[in-house]
Amino acid sequence: MHRAATEVGRAARLALARTLESLAVVGALASVVFFALRLLPGDPARLVLGDEASEGDLARVRRALHLDEPILVQYARFLRGIASADLGDSFRRPGTPAMARVGEALLPTAQLAGVAVAMGAVAGLAAAVAASGPWLAPRTRVWIERALMAVAAAPLVAVAPVLTWALAARARIVPLPGDPDAGPAGLLFAGALLAFPLGAHVGRIARQALVEVSEAPFLRVATAKGAGPARVWLLHALPVVAGPVVTIVATQLGALLGGAVVIERMFERRGLGTLILEAYASRDLPVLEGAVVAAGLLFVVAQTLGAAIEATLDPRTRAGPS
Amino acid sequence: MTARRRALELVPLGLVVALSLLGASMASEPAGRLAPARAWCAPSAERLLGCGEAGVDLTSLVCTAELRAVVLAVIVALVGFLVGTPLGAAAALARGRVEQAVARACDLVQAFPTFILALAVLSAVRAPSRVHIGAVFALTAWAPFARLALAQTRVLRSAAFVEAAVALGRGRSGILAHHILPNLLGVVAVQLGSTAAAVVVSEAALGFVGFGPRDGVSLGGVLDQGVVAMLRAPHVLIVGAAAVFVASAALLAAGRAVR
Repeated sequence: MHRAATEVGRAARLALARTLESLAVVGALASVVFFALRLLPGDPARLVLGDEASEGDLARVRRALHLDEPILVQYARFLRGIASADLGDSFRRPGTPAMARVGEALLPTAQLAGVAVAMGAVAGLAAAVAASGPWLAPRTRVWIERALMAVAAAPLVAVAPVLTWALAARARIVPLPGDPDAGPAGLLFAGALLAFPLGAHVGRIARQALVEVSEAPFLRVATAKGAGPARVWLLHALPVVAGPVVTIVATQLGALLGGAVVIERMFERRGLGTLILEAYASRDLPVLEGAVVAAGLLFVVAQTLGAAIEATLDPRTRAGPS
Repeated sequence: MTARRRALELVPLGLVVALSLLGASMASEPAGRLAPARAWCAPSAERLLGCGEAGVDLTSLVCTAELRAVVLAVIVALVGFLVGTPLGAAAALARGRVEQAVARACDLVQAFPTFILALAVLSAVRAPSRVHIGAVFALTAWAPFARLALAQTRVLRSAAFVEAAVALGRGRSGILAHHILPNLLGVVAVQLGSTAAAVVVSEAALGFVGFGPRDGVSLGGVLDQGVVAMLRAPHVLIVGAAAVFVASAALLAAGRAVR
């Protein structure tokens, strides 16, 4: 009874710490975008209107964006705005709340990232099992491992355009960038490009974990009891690898979001990335702030989800005596 | 690895720098000069890499951009190294809460959406310059070095020679400077290559999405032109991608030489 109570207390403390940490990440990102715009040299109102703006126009913009208030009052208003998901109207599209535009953009990006994570995890695990199991010749397995290393080091920003050129412009088997009728095929191809580096990282980590586990007694027991290689590797060995794979996906999430910006821009897909770029180009400060905070939120939610999945899969990572 | 093999790993970077210098200095006009008459012209004997948007000569543009990208990457990696290594080592020596906090901060920063952070900060400057871009990357570049230094110091702090130094009454900063750091540098320096390569790629990505330096001399800018003219002039895209790839691979190889 007493022990159960301390267990609960420990789990609650850990959950609290994680939540505080997530809030800190989002808060830090939000504060960076807030203070960078206001404290770096250069007048934000001039940034919005350009150099030729008259004093009257500048004063009007300052009032509209509350730039004429003391900075701490602005900051408090900004934090309140984030907490209540209301950062005011989009500056370039009066009447549209900034958060509405951000909300519209959130789904396509989450979709793209989700497709990429699913494809990367499946492809990476398949490659790792193929490189570890007994099906292929040892030389082929070594080649798979080398290919994983090479792909993991390949820069997405260089590989994605070349692959798109080869597959869309030359072979014409996928839709061209900017094709408005791309539909699901476009999403799948864009997701696949984004999944490339992720899949290679998953493959490398899973392969390492499989090598470690391959000599484990429980696998030999399974073989001794007459299980075929498919059963041994897929049913017995693969679940053990799930923990490290979830961890590597979580650490790659930040890179994945950055990659999503590049991919969205390349394919002219709507999403958080294109919204940030558009808001930057048109100096739409409320939308820009909202989009950056939303990106941070997406990252934090996905990471917390990853930690929760890992804790469910592997009891050892739950808050135990450390 | 023998010293000779190690020296060989520096060859690609040397070649990249030498070829870029050659290409940039051979150019008869400043990088980025426009001549619309020859827009998107294919590679020829006169213009080895062809032309891009509005007729910029890709040879001089790519070579100049490659040089600047490599220099920026090396500087950022060195800054990260110089900041992160002492930080990680000091945290591990301090133990307790400080150590935990720094370790957790490294985890967070390494998984952080760095690219989004860069976009957020750069959006506050009207025309991002290379200094701005380098500063933004340096904000997060220290983390992998600090993490490596922390892990290595955890091993070193219980070594006999450190214990002896403690017994002889040396202070914590003396131990850090004289016993820990000299033993760390080799291990931590391994990270230099991959950090530099990551900076080259991130800089290209920033240029690609339109956050590059305003003069347009960036590998990402070349890639952007290439994607726009994918059907008309595929050479632009191939040249840009190859330049990013070569720079990042050469820096990775050079990093292996440091080991």
